[in-house]
Amino acid sequence: MMDDDHRVLAGLKVFELSVAVAAPCAGRYLAYHGADVVKVESRVNPDVARLFGSAWARTEEYAPLFMDTSPYLPEMTAGKRSIGLELKDADALAAAHKLIEGCDVFLSNFTPDALERMGMSYAQLHPVNPRLIHVVMPGFGAEPALPYYPFRAFGPNQAPLVGLDALTGHPGEEPAGIASVAPPDYVAGMHAVVSVLSALEHRDQTGDGSSVVISQMETTVSLLGPFLVDHAITGRTPEPSGNRIPWAAPTGVYRSLGHDRWVALSVAGDVQWAALVALVGGDALTDPAWATLEGRLAAHDAIDEAVGVWTAAISPAEAAARLQGAGIAAYEVLDHRGVLTDPQLRDRKVYDVAPSVRFGRDLFTGHPIRMTDTPASVPWAGPNMGQHTREILVNRVGLSEPEVDALMERGAAFGERVPEMTVRRPFDPWYEIVGLVGDDAPSSGKAS
Amino acid sequence: MAPWSGHRVIDLTGLAGAYGTRLLAALGAEVVKVEPPEGDPIRTYAPRAPGVEGPESGLWWAFLSAGKKSVVIDRSTAAGEARLATLLATADVVLDDSPAALQDRPVSGHAAVRAANPATSWVAITPFGLTGPRRDWTTSDLVAWASCGLASTVGFPHSPPLAPAAPVQLAMHFTAVNAAIASMLALRGRRRTGRGQLVEVAIQEAMVSMAPETGVPLFLDDQVPRPRAGNRRPVTSPFGLFPCQDGYVAILALQPNHWQAMARWICDETGNEGVLDGVFDDIAVRNEASEAVDAWTEELTLAATKHELFVEGQRRGIPITPVNTVADLRADPHLAQAGWWRDEEHPSLGQIQVPGAPFLVSHQWWHWSVAPTLGQHTAEILGAL
Repeated sequence: MMDDDHRVLAGLKVFELSVAVAAPCAGRYLAYHGADVVKVESRVNPDVARLFGSAWARTEEYAPLFMDTSPYLPEMTAGKRSIGLELKDADALAAAHKLIEGCDVFLSNFTPDALERMGMSYAQLHPVNPRLIHVVMPGFGAEPALPYYPFRAFGPNQAPLVGLDALTGHPGEEPAGIASVAPPDYVAGMHAVVSVLSALEHRDQTGDGSSVVISQMETTVSLLGPFLVDHAITGRTPEPSGNRIPWAAPTGVYRSLGHDRWVALSVAGDVQWAALVALVGGDALTDPAWATLEGRLAAHDAIDEAVGVWTAAISPAEAAARLQGAGIAAYEVLDHRGVLTDPQLRDRKVYDVAPSVRFGRDLFTGHPIRMTDTPASVPWAGPNMGQHTREILVNRVGLSEPEVDALMERGAAFGERVPEMTVRRPFDPWYEIVGLVGDDAPSSGKAS
Repeated sequence: MAPWSGHRVIDLTGLAGAYGTRLLAALGAEVVKVEPPEGDPIRTYAPRAPGVEGPESGLWWAFLSAGKKSVVIDRSTAAGEARLATLLATADVVLDDSPAALQDRPVSGHAAVRAANPATSWVAITPFGLTGPRRDWTTSDLVAWASCGLASTVGFPHSPPLAPAAPVQLAMHFTAVNAAIASMLALRGRRRTGRGQLVEVAIQEAMVSMAPETGVPLFLDDQVPRPRAGNRRPVTSPFGLFPCQDGYVAILALQPNHWQAMARWICDETGNEGVLDGVFDDIAVRNEASEAVDAWTEELTLAATKHELFVEGQRRGIPITPVNTVADLRADPHLAQAGWWRDEEHPSLGQIQVPGAPFLVSHQWWHWSVAPTLGQHTAEILGAL
């Protein structure tokens, strides 16, 4: 910990044994607020985010660094350190245990069975470090007697399991599916952060560590609370409603000028309705029955048609600006290009650029919690696979250089591949063009 | 022992904060929800309990306000604003999701309150941030999904884009959990500095942070748009929702062993031996032939129920899940055997079964109690000022 590091979690040491999104998402929050997050990596069984690589890197020339090229990597690992350890090796496992002795937090979304086999269950690690905060994130809990315990599910099939897909769709259509979103991974990751911060508070008060089990099914299904309670009382099951909700009408997306362009809007309350009537003009929305929420809910189709005539004649950006000018919630339904050029995201410098050994500098999504006194930041983008193996084994585990060499020679540990081989991302020159890097934005991550 | 006991959190939020303050309350904080005399708007949101009149009938309220205290203050009067300011200065954390311009009101805004008590932190939840050209724009759950890029990826090509699970208001809850984390970070930070601070959580930015698929880094890297493609996705095959006797199942054949188990299952059930041909082990070949692969898969799924397919597919090592409804979840054997549901005695709703803890911990952290009636704690809280 640097003396001048005022980030809230500076000094916190985290051991992350993770794959894909759920646990890395949690580690990302901790890293942004100053924790030293060490991600343990394996060449035998690499994180799927490394296997993705990048389309432009699928050539012989880039083969040695392919596993460092996925744009998912800085998204999930910026500010973390990477250690290459094959935990099936007894000496590598001993080194990992030594590292965990000095850690505050253990974070993993491996299955409970896999953790047990690796020697990383709570029961196995508690004797190593009784003050450890041990957080695991299995799909279906950690209790072998439960019916779904051995089942497997990835983010895209957790969402349907917990009821989200059945509620996504236009009435009368098939369920649309939300596999492009995967909320359960992020919801579980954020609850892991809640558990870690709470466990730190608990440890300050009692001196004790904690064992936390974040079962992705239970964590995400909690968000359906009002409907679960309603079913318990009345037996009612909610149906998909398209984009409609019962307390703000009209709410929906409307076709605008251009190919497949849409604007989203939501009219909350009778005052906003009056503003919409004035904005759209003419006779289309003057039915007096529509002055109340009940009336608008009953006539939603007719209202949608009239509003759609108005939006179809103007661009989605103009429609949104005029609606917001009248006090009505609205936004263009942004696609990728829209996110890239969004003036608000650009003004707020939502994307971060930070140094990267492999790329010189790299780009990734910034952090949503902006603390004014102790701003979150990360000093570097995604590390190369195994970039920090040697320094961690020497400085944190206490091995000698020859001991590290011996581990590496027999493949129990590994360092980064071809560190001298650097490359610019093909889109690197874009950073300036699209305004992601400005004069006031330090290249080493933004201050707030 | 609850980790955040002894901390006072004052809640000036609606849907963009309520799930977060529910978590803080369940983890021991004293959460004081400030309501106008007619009651918080969340009390009016459907579904509402039948046979219960007035402000205690709302089930959103019953769920989101569990464990909180209710204090009524009329902010439309100067006396009310002054009283609120006095109350806010007793807080360890204030969470507010008022429009950006209203969060710095002269008497009860963040600058005034933090001047009165420098140890107080203020979590400003806003649609688009406290700064920038759209700082004064308003939002909703749907507008939040639109503004982060994700709505453009959900739905069928022939019909309008969709918010994921619109009735659930996921974007609001997602923001609210970020706000709970922000509150805890501010409290942890105060242990070091002795000071509170202003913390911003913008709904648009919270959503962008869970949207790498539509974010700038991925798009710049591959320049591939990801338009809404319905309930099958071209990443692998089979991948998506498949009809069965009583609904749909979700299948994701990601790894080679998933496909091999899938092919064996299709062959066992339908007698289709062609599916076992090794040529289909290649994802690229399956994607090329996805119409055929989907048809073979449907022949299998249409012959059974979603629960039968779930159990048998999982037994065979395939990531398959049922597309559950709320009724399915209420009858789910895993949630039941995990002891997840809690029985609650509610003063106006009677004996009800409610969701349990979102995660498990090796200590007695979770403290649950029912949502307050309108103004139930006004005298207790304001009388102590």
